[in-house]
Amino acid sequence: MDIQPKMPKSWNAATKPHKFCPGCGHGLILKALGQVIDEMGIQDRVVFGCDIGCSLLSWDFFNVDTVQTHHGRTTPVMVGIKKARPDRIVIAYMGDGGGYAIGSQHLVNAATRDDKITVILVNNTVYAMTGGQMAPTTMPGQKTETTPFGRDVEQAGYPMMGPEMVAAITQEGAYVARGSVAKFRKLKEYIRKALENQIAMRGFSFVEALSTCPTNWRTNAEKTWEFVEKIMPEQYPLGELKVPVIKEG
Amino acid sequence: MKKAALKAISKDVHKGKAVFSIFPGLCKGCGLCREKCPEGALSWSEELGVYGTPTVIPDPEKCKACRTCERVCPDCAIAITRKTGEDKD
Repeated sequence: MDIQPKMPKSWNAATKPHKFCPGCGHGLILKALGQVIDEMGIQDRVVFGCDIGCSLLSWDFFNVDTVQTHHGRTTPVMVGIKKARPDRIVIAYMGDGGGYAIGSQHLVNAATRDDKITVILVNNTVYAMTGGQMAPTTMPGQKTETTPFGRDVEQAGYPMMGPEMVAAITQEGAYVARGSVAKFRKLKEYIRKALENQIAMRGFSFVEALSTCPTNWRTNAEKTWEFVEKIMPEQYPLGELKVPVIKEG
Repeated sequence: MKKAALKAISKDVHKGKAVFSIFPGLCKGCGLCREKCPEGALSWSEELGVYGTPTVIPDPEKCKACRTCERVCPDCAIAITRKTGEDKD
């Protein structure tokens, strides 16, 4: 029997093994996204945009039209594509550094305008590609390269609660959720709902995915799971924050 | 995908009712599957993965072919095929 790897069909098999580090959560989130694209049968209509940071390593990940932009500008680029071609299904894929720090104005404005796009934002609590510096999502007390004694909220402030903010500034048709790679099936469900919300043209769809970064957390597999399963949800509660009310008829 | 990545190492598990396959050309040896296995059936293998790190191998006695490892693998390096019944996720 000739056994093949069980990759989603929308993945570009020629570029695998992919470029992410061992144990990186990006692979899991993109696997969830790939499976959802397969199940919905929308591969030929999807436009995938990746941001700068580790998320850019997904530029050749899928067999779909892909564009790579810088510093959170994936959101407005995807808004532009959606305005020009409303039949396309656009996915802006970015990390917490691109989406919440240097590119937060784009996220805030797209959410306020209620643009009909899907944003998937990967939160791993550090700037991973540049070596693990403190990011807006670094948790209080968490040790990083630039906070060797733990993040001090007096000095460095509190972490960014992205989905809570997006839920507060979007209109009624928006879908906002926070998933985690530790709850793979739930994450898949959130991504599916976010894409369906865009296809139904109800409003802005936003999914934050808690992810792993063993390289910069300096953790082994056991500690990696502990951090993403137990420690991260204490700061970032999982679940759906905003579900659009579907009007009958 | 390079041809080497397609080479699978297969092993009958769960009393011969399922086949566990690992693709050393895809496995990066992160160990996430090993921690998630509810039966503690996975151990490090002699076979090396794409980065020269050990891959995993199941204990056929303990493995129940629950496919948790397949689901949590970020690289799709594990494929479990059940010989009987539905092959659903």
